[in-house]
Amino acid sequence: MREFDNKILIIGIGNSGRADDGLGWAFVDEVKDRLPESFDFEYRYQLQIEDAELIGHYARVYFVDADIASYEEGFRLSSCKPNAVHGFTTHELEPGTVAYLAEDLYNNKPEAFILGITGYNFELELGLSEGAKANLLGALKFFDEKILNLVI
Amino acid sequence: MAQKLVIDPVTRVEGHGKVTVHLDDNNKVKDAFFHVVEFRGFERFIQGHPYWEAPVLVQRLCGICPVSHHLAAAKAIDQIVGLDPQDLSLPAQKIRKLLHFGQIFQSHALHFFYLASPDLLFGYDADPVKRNVVGVAMEYPSLAKKGILMRKFGQEIIKMVAGKRIHGISATPGGVHKKISVKERNYFLDGKEIPSIDTMIDWSVEIIDFIKEYHQTNKAFLDTFAAYPSGHLGLVNKENGFLELYDGNLRATDADGNITLDDIRDVDYNSHFYEGVEKWSYLKFPYLKHIGRDDGWNRVGPLARVNICDGIETPLAEKERQEFKATTNGKINNMTMHTHWARLIEILYCAEMMKALLEDDDILSTDLLRKGERRSEGIGIIEAPRGTLIHHYEVDDKDRITRCNLIVSTTHNNEAMNRAVRWVASNEISGQPKVTEAMMNQIEVAIRAYDPCLSCATHALGQMPLELTLYDAYGNIVDERIRQ
Repeated sequence: MREFDNKILIIGIGNSGRADDGLGWAFVDEVKDRLPESFDFEYRYQLQIEDAELIGHYARVYFVDADIASYEEGFRLSSCKPNAVHGFTTHELEPGTVAYLAEDLYNNKPEAFILGITGYNFELELGLSEGAKANLLGALKFFDEKILNLVI
Repeated sequence: MAQKLVIDPVTRVEGHGKVTVHLDDNNKVKDAFFHVVEFRGFERFIQGHPYWEAPVLVQRLCGICPVSHHLAAAKAIDQIVGLDPQDLSLPAQKIRKLLHFGQIFQSHALHFFYLASPDLLFGYDADPVKRNVVGVAMEYPSLAKKGILMRKFGQEIIKMVAGKRIHGISATPGGVHKKISVKERNYFLDGKEIPSIDTMIDWSVEIIDFIKEYHQTNKAFLDTFAAYPSGHLGLVNKENGFLELYDGNLRATDADGNITLDDIRDVDYNSHFYEGVEKWSYLKFPYLKHIGRDDGWNRVGPLARVNICDGIETPLAEKERQEFKATTNGKINNMTMHTHWARLIEILYCAEMMKALLEDDDILSTDLLRKGERRSEGIGIIEAPRGTLIHHYEVDDKDRITRCNLIVSTTHNNEAMNRAVRWVASNEISGQPKVTEAMMNQIEVAIRAYDPCLSCATHALGQMPLELTLYDAYGNIVDERIRQ
């Protein structure tokens, strides 16, 4: 089996057809062409159980998603703790549940983080709101300075 | 932690399911209906589009089996450009079949491991929070891991052939547009990066052993739950009557095994079927003309296919088919829950076929396209994971689609699913003043044997947004349960 032991995975989550819910995909769109070889990226509408198998191959994972919470900087990076609790639906899993299953099923415990970027409009529209665009820029700057520069 | 947004999935064949149960004065079930109340407009809004767009547009019908719609439309559009299935180059035929087997393999794995196994492992009266695939992963990790990797294998096959796991494009009028490289092929054979095709075959055999053991200890449930006589319809191989999923003749039998449709050419389907309508459902009710609405309906899907075929060309699946047939002494199997067993036999068949195709150098060829003489009509019929899928198009001299008729597997199974609901109503609900969670799930279990799209079309794997309404003899609502 292929090993990705020292690699980092970025998963952009959301739906670009729902305005600011496309923030996760927009983030990946912006960074994917300048990521070093140690990074991989994926797009997801929702996280599903097979993503537990995927993230188990990586040393570190960033889940990037739109967030309805308001942050001073317009985004927040937080640690993603494995969480055995799951809701009634299994069509969309929380990042913590995916991290839990990676450990439980595959004995892999990647370092996991959630990068939540504040969005404001989640209607059936294409394109980000002006506020979301500004928050995205802030998150990208943070990613370049605090994450990418440390890896390169 | 980031807030999770609820996003509707892309359009599927159908979504919201509703069940109504009507009682008489003694609280006995008088009738029960399974309503499909969502409207599908694909047949109408594809009109006016150029015919070559059909294989791309129609796969948006479904997020689980887009490949099936893609290939059925492609077979129809091949005819528009003057080519019958056998006129395509051999490499193109084999690449399409590889795509098709990958699709059925991943879809069957999804259905069994993600949707059906929670009911079998935990029971239909288990806590709904536990009764889903995450619950299976936590309590049966070995089984879950295999299910996840089997589904992934099929998805990777689709990605190799069509470029993407969902809504990729492979087929083009007259063939396929992309050849397969040695490196791409070896990815599935050598087991270095993902478990190999040989492992898929081994695991498929193991999961059939699981269902056989389950049958031994739960015989009464599997043999009797929602079981009733029905017709069975599907494609069979044109040469030998064996199981056929991509291109064959249509065969049907009645509940006793008597032939009711004798290996007709698939393109002649319109001469043999009518589609009935009921005012309480947007879903039509196909039936054989010469038998009539009451008795001419058929089940489609794994159970029907394994019932009607004369054999399976791959050795391991054929051995399992013979064992399966032995449970009914060779007669037609009308036991609804045995659909899961038949589905697993098909998983093994697909795995064996994928191995044969992956080892066939024809798939590396660049001879991928053919041309023919333009026609004005095309009919493409394949066996999708859930059953017989029909795409029928007519085009004008400006290449625009003027008529489209789609009969999807769920439509064929409409009457069968209604019978299943009536079985649960009569056997489990009749005489009961209250609707319980276990009753609700038994209805789901009965429907789920036919069509997991109903589960996932409405957001929740393992749980359908089902409405169940209980009416008394005077039309008053006695009880109502709604799951969202």
